[in-house]
Amino acid sequence: MNKVLEVKNLSIQYKTDLETVYAVNSISFSLNAGETLGLVGETGAGKTTTALGIMGLLPERTGKVPSGEILFEEKDLLTLKEQDMMKIRGGKISMIFQDPMTALNPVLPVGKQIGEALLLHNTENLSNDEIEKKVEETLELVGIPKARKVEYPYQFSGGMRQRVVIAIALICNPNLLIADEPTTALDVTIQAQILSMICNLQRMYKTSVIMITHDLGVVAETCDKVAIMYAGEIVEYGTLGDIFTGEIHHPYTIGLFNSLPSLTKDSHRLHPIEGLMPDPTVKPEGCWFAPRCKYCTEQCKKQKPPVVEENGHQVRCHFPVHQKGVE
Amino acid sequence: MSEKLIEVKHLKKYFNTPAGILHAVDDVNFEIPQGKTLGVVGESGCGKSTLGRTLLQLDAPTEGEILFKGTNLVTVGRKEMRCIRPKIQMVFQDPYASLNGRMNVRQLIAEPLIVNKVCKNKRELEDRVSGMMETVGLAERLSMAYPHELDGGRRQRIGIARALILEPEFVICDEPVSALDVSIQAQILNLLMDLQEEMKLTYMFITHDLSVVRHISDEIMVMYLGKCVEKADAKEIFKNPVHPYTKALLAAIPIPSIESCHKERKLLRGEVVSPVNPASGCRFAARCPRAAESCRQGDIPFTEISPGHYCACSRIGEI
Repeated sequence: MNKVLEVKNLSIQYKTDLETVYAVNSISFSLNAGETLGLVGETGAGKTTTALGIMGLLPERTGKVPSGEILFEEKDLLTLKEQDMMKIRGGKISMIFQDPMTALNPVLPVGKQIGEALLLHNTENLSNDEIEKKVEETLELVGIPKARKVEYPYQFSGGMRQRVVIAIALICNPNLLIADEPTTALDVTIQAQILSMICNLQRMYKTSVIMITHDLGVVAETCDKVAIMYAGEIVEYGTLGDIFTGEIHHPYTIGLFNSLPSLTKDSHRLHPIEGLMPDPTVKPEGCWFAPRCKYCTEQCKKQKPPVVEENGHQVRCHFPVHQKGVE
Repeated sequence: MSEKLIEVKHLKKYFNTPAGILHAVDDVNFEIPQGKTLGVVGESGCGKSTLGRTLLQLDAPTEGEILFKGTNLVTVGRKEMRCIRPKIQMVFQDPYASLNGRMNVRQLIAEPLIVNKVCKNKRELEDRVSGMMETVGLAERLSMAYPHELDGGRRQRIGIARALILEPEFVICDEPVSALDVSIQAQILNLLMDLQEEMKLTYMFITHDLSVVRHISDEIMVMYLGKCVEKADAKEIFKNPVHPYTKALLAAIPIPSIESCHKERKLLRGEVVSPVNPASGCRFAARCPRAAESCRQGDIPFTEISPGHYCACSRIGEI
């Protein structure tokens, strides 16, 4: 299978005069055509920063990429000029933003906003009428009647607005779609509608998707591969099967699963991970997770853990937990 | 059966809007026994937060009775209400917006005591604040910190401390964990459950997260557009959901297990319709896969289908 995206040893830092935030630390992953990768983690794990890095949307003054490569269709996006990047962004790589309430321009009709993406990436030299027609088709595709294209965002509900954002992302038939928490702001019944729509469209167009989420249920339902992020590092990476039923696990992954209240099993108490995410401005010597880890040893505090690999299932830990499944 | 702490009868809250009358809470009935937890679930706009606010008399109800230990909160005077309110407290949803950014942790937690003139001297005040900080798991060194210096989990602990310092009997938790990460969410849920045992608290737990509500509640009430559509024991409702909306809600939750991988699901179509001037009959009829003509007429009775399990659906027997 051909790789659509390959990220190698990517690090991203936010530098100000006062401090440096180590947001993403040497992460690597790859994505084949038509696959979905889930980037999972809690607030501050560096999920969104990774997405912004791929899109080339890091804040200009503070966002720095000291090392790494982002190969998209064998071109390193980090070496591209802004002009060339503009051609790719929104065309071949597009993004669905988290909050549909703020991602749209309130003073433009939604049809104009959807058409704008195509107008900027008009590789097939479509005429205005053809663009208009494509906008209508895309609207129907995401389940909005085409007559509503003249309406403004405030006239749409949250779920409908997210459909508009998805239409903008999909109108240029991207090869890579980055969905940054696309359903977090929505209700469960609407979330189910949107997720199944993204999956159907993905199957139709063979788009690769990076699904950024903190909801392990969403991951189980939509992803082929999963990367669990903690403090800017990928601590566990593998196929969906590796993560949910594999033999070795990172203690953080297990902690994450144990924090979830179960819908099927009865338990009186939850087993949360004690403590908090470390301060991202200080790079610790050993494992980032050591202060919160139940199995922490002296070695963990001093030495950076290696990546343990078993048939492509990677765990970044000195002493990965051997247990079948995560519960 | 233990004593009923709170009893709500035919509670209605309508808002006048330019577009018409908005039925936020429409004829809701329930009671909560002492020391138990009632979970209220529903999607945004179903009136669950309004219900919480109305119980506390932050919004005056349009109609109905709220009996707290037999006293009707709707008709009592302001003076009496002042005496009762410390017994009913609320934990708010957003720990980022509900705390005054100009007060430090100690001042924030002491505020309810000062407002209600509970403590005789400064010493007692300080002791109670310190004690409460310890109870909710805030370290003493944080007492001079301001909310912006703290993370969401610690802020929510301040919110809980503020609600509990007056030693209430009834606490309304309005989505206390939905703004938090899962690992922090689990810490707060454990804390709330420990405190319930320790202080014999009664909770009304408002949330949209069904797994959270199953974990913490004894009884669950499902709301849709201001109406209560189903109410039953927590385990019962997950095992035998009866109302089509409850079923759809349960089917929509993504389950973190390998079996749910790329699974096709029955989806609920459409969205919540406007609660302004709702049509008569079942409010869910527009989205219900089983809706019949009879669903669109008259009031749908809230019937008991098995002991303690109530459901408002006109086609219970048929589906």
